Amino acid sequence: MANKVVLDQDSMQRALTRITYEILERNKGGQNLILVGIKTRGEYLAHRIADRLEQLEQVQIPVMAIDVTNYRDDHLDSGDDLGLDPAEKLNIANQNIVLVDDVLFTGRTTRAALDALIQIGRPQAIALAVLVDRGHRELPIRADFVGKNIPTAQNEKIKVKVKEFDGEDSVEIVH
Amino acid sequence: MERHLILEDGTVFSGQGFGAPATTFGEIIFDTATSGYQETITNPIYDGQMIVFAMPVVGADGIHAEAYESTTPKIRGVVVHDLAEVSTNRQRRMNLDRFLQHHNIPGLYEVDTRKLIRHLRETGPQKATIVDVVDDHAVDQLVATVLTNKQVQNTATPKAYANPGHGFHIIVIDFGLKHGILRVLGDYDANVTVLPYTTTVDEVLTLDPDGIILSTGPGNPEDLPDSVLTLIRVLQTKMPLLGLGLGHELLALANGAEIQALPAEYHGMNHPIQEIISQQLFYARQGRGYVIDEDSLDGKKLFVTHRDLVDGSIQGIRLRDNPAFSVQFFPDGAPGPLEANGIFADFFETVADYVQKNS
Repeated sequence: MANKVVLDQDSMQRALTRITYEILERNKGGQNLILVGIKTRGEYLAHRIADRLEQLEQVQIPVMAIDVTNYRDDHLDSGDDLGLDPAEKLNIANQNIVLVDDVLFTGRTTRAALDALIQIGRPQAIALAVLVDRGHRELPIRADFVGKNIPTAQNEKIKVKVKEFDGEDSVEIVH
Repeated sequence: MERHLILEDGTVFSGQGFGAPATTFGEIIFDTATSGYQETITNPIYDGQMIVFAMPVVGADGIHAEAYESTTPKIRGVVVHDLAEVSTNRQRRMNLDRFLQHHNIPGLYEVDTRKLIRHLRETGPQKATIVDVVDDHAVDQLVATVLTNKQVQNTATPKAYANPGHGFHIIVIDFGLKHGILRVLGDYDANVTVLPYTTTVDEVLTLDPDGIILSTGPGNPEDLPDSVLTLIRVLQTKMPLLGLGLGHELLALANGAEIQALPAEYHGMNHPIQEIISQQLFYARQGRGYVIDEDSLDGKKLFVTHRDLVDGSIQGIRLRDNPAFSVQFFPDGAPGPLEANGIFADFFETVADYVQKNS
């Protein structure tokens, strides 16, 4: 069966724009803000939000990317390798972190990211921004900033494509 | 029959009369768009104004049921270079001439509209009248006429009415609502209640809306009572709010910015507009006689979200602390490009988010 496009390039851009305004609204501006993108696509989305913040406020918000594969509880080789060079580790102590991911599903990736972040330092607060919330949470986690709520069936898949990595911007439901 | 347009500064332009043989007074402005004369003529923002069309031929599309922007046109006159003859043999078919006759609005064609528009670009909008004979009496009448500043009162609904749907409950505060906005809200299946601009905060909140739209409208926003600004200041903190045209100017006033009259009004759709945050460019229909004064805008309170790249003017603002935003242009098209109608999608996403977090 054909894939169903639920967000095209234009609506994806607008969702990121809206998230950016909401971050500024919540954080009362760009002070002490750090964006942390969850690899792979969350990293690109975090950079796009940072670009928007720069256009609007002429501020450069630091962006860090983390790979949480080894922190997942459903991963056999759970460990503590963030996939980060020490040089890429920002000082997150007392900062306001916005975690950025493409899809929020069970919440397990987010939990893993929280573990990883807290291992690096003690931020003032951590918020979560996702492009798509597809439901079916298995942990008590919710997003603060949602680009689009897309109710899905458990067995459906959401495929997010970003131009920087996949060559195009889209969100599709794969049956 | 030869008729004449007299401007306040004494300039006279002659042409042939069409539409109603009436004598009217109004403020004359010009429109540079190449399409959409019916939507423009019926747009309530032109209450009390006369329009000169830069488009060389006007009327070739006739008049259509789906292109009304209000039930009754509020303009005072239509000036064109060339009036297209449209057959009205087919039943139910209306042309511009008959339409204007029906609404008692005079028209003038075979006018040197290029010269007239160049003149108006220099002088700005002027009082004007369309008459049969140019004499001292006609000029005296024009000079003595005081144009109303009660256009919103004249245009907006005095009573609440509903445009029901099954989706989010959106309240539209009517300052001279154009139908294009209702059509878009219909596309989103919104459950719409249109309220008069004299509505109180309590009346709005009792209806338990999910979002507020401040509509487009005619005239100077500063001619409206202060109660409107008080209403906006409360509502903007309660739920998502979208301002359009006059509604945008009012949102700015309610948040401490000031409004200036433009030296020459801009009515057209050929200015590129930039969304600052994404750097994207688009075109949209504009109809504006006023603009936010750049220096009066408090950057700690408001973001500038959009700019006109031709004159640099502010075309959109957003509150820093609340999901309330507004644009000077008309994202509903009608007439004009639909490139900006994502503004409505943004509004409804914001409303969906608000409803989810508050249910």
